[in-house]
Amino acid sequence: MSFPRSLRLALIALLAAALIAPGAVGVASAASTESPPVGIALSRPSTSVGIGDSFSFTSTITNAGSLPVSGLVAHLNVLSFTHGVYVDPEDWSSNRTRYLDPIPPGHSTTVDWTVKAVNGGDFGIYVAALGTPAAGAVPIEPTVSPALVAHVTEQRNVNPQGVVPLALGVPAAVAAAMGALRLRMRRRS
Amino acid sequence: MEATAEQATPKAVPAPRARPAWAVVALQELRDLWLYGRGLPLALGFSALLSVVTYLAASNQSLNFLEVHEAVNLALQVGVAVGAIITLLTAADAISGERERGTLESLLLTPAPRRDLVVGKLLAALSVWLVLFVITIPYLWFLGRNVGAVADALGAGATVGTLVALSLASLGIIISALTSTNRLSLSISLFVLLALFAPTQFPTGAQSGWFGDFLLRVNPISAALHWMGKVVVDGHSWGHDADWLISPISAGVVLTAIAVLAAPRWMRLRGGSPG
Repeated sequence: MSFPRSLRLALIALLAAALIAPGAVGVASAASTESPPVGIALSRPSTSVGIGDSFSFTSTITNAGSLPVSGLVAHLNVLSFTHGVYVDPEDWSSNRTRYLDPIPPGHSTTVDWTVKAVNGGDFGIYVAALGTPAAGAVPIEPTVSPALVAHVTEQRNVNPQGVVPLALGVPAAVAAAMGALRLRMRRRS
Repeated sequence: MEATAEQATPKAVPAPRARPAWAVVALQELRDLWLYGRGLPLALGFSALLSVVTYLAASNQSLNFLEVHEAVNLALQVGVAVGAIITLLTAADAISGERERGTLESLLLTPAPRRDLVVGKLLAALSVWLVLFVITIPYLWFLGRNVGAVADALGAGATVGTLVALSLASLGIIISALTSTNRLSLSISLFVLLALFAPTQFPTGAQSGWFGDFLLRVNPISAALHWMGKVVVDGHSWGHDADWLISPISAGVVLTAIAVLAAPRWMRLRGGSPG
């Protein structure tokens, strides 16, 4: 039985590709046909806090694949659902990037996040995880958690950190010293 | 009853040691400034300004917008800058003010050497800085108490602030001796201040080139504030960026020398350029 020349060449090329780059083929097929092997879930779907309040939640990152996943980086992000509200995620949390230990297949790891609500309004907070290319990790494509919806009410704190007694006290003390001196001078004269 | 020799000759009472003329002048100036003058109203305005700055810093800090060390540095920079400005304006009134009020003649007729008059006035102007820095202390303590930033801020502020205040007070005395009217003296002083503080307002990009860096280093005020920021915000040791203190120290030495050595010759009933 003889194969046509073109079919033979195609078979050889396919075999060579499978031998040379099994990882690449695997990633491509996983990305295109299989569900991502990493999943992220958050400990709460929503929260309601006042401006300036801190709140915490936990993200659970699961390796649902059949191979260990290493080199994963989890990143916290914040966005506003309201047009025109500026959000600087750095103000919400100064520790937004975590480098995860390898996760064996079927296992998961948890990451705790603490966030301070610095703007009023409705915000979406989510965690994305992606692998570092150097680690040959799966997935290079980011995996994103569902959003935690934060409703932040604007409450005015007129005494942040208890500063008011100081802010009023020092000028009052200087004014009192000034008044006492002026009174003394007037009595003398 | 015979009088003994001891009774006959009264005990020699040592004559009270006379105060040096500069101390007499300084005391009189201090009295004028703090008991009757504008010292305390200025201190009241200064404390109100620092209260506003501290309130803003505290509210921003509680919302994560401002890091604690940056909040301390902000209050310290405002304290040093405004304290130095008020010191300069007080010194700028020292001689031209006397000239305008018609009291310079009687001052010049006293037996006090003119250099002592200048030194006394310089010390009185520096007392403004001292009082304003004392007022700054509770604000710095409040903002930096939880992170141990208070000692560094106080040390750096006292060092740099005193250098800047000494330079500006000397400059004020020099301008005041040279100018014919108080208005002119204050105008020139304000203009010099604006020129000195302008580089601190440059955008970050303009400060990054060699020329921007040179300008910041040459200007004693921007160099002093930069050094202070490095110590308070970045936690550098005092010696780490000591080269930034070259211009504040040089300005302090040179301007004080000119004020003490040359300005007395320019103290005349009529102001104007030295002839």
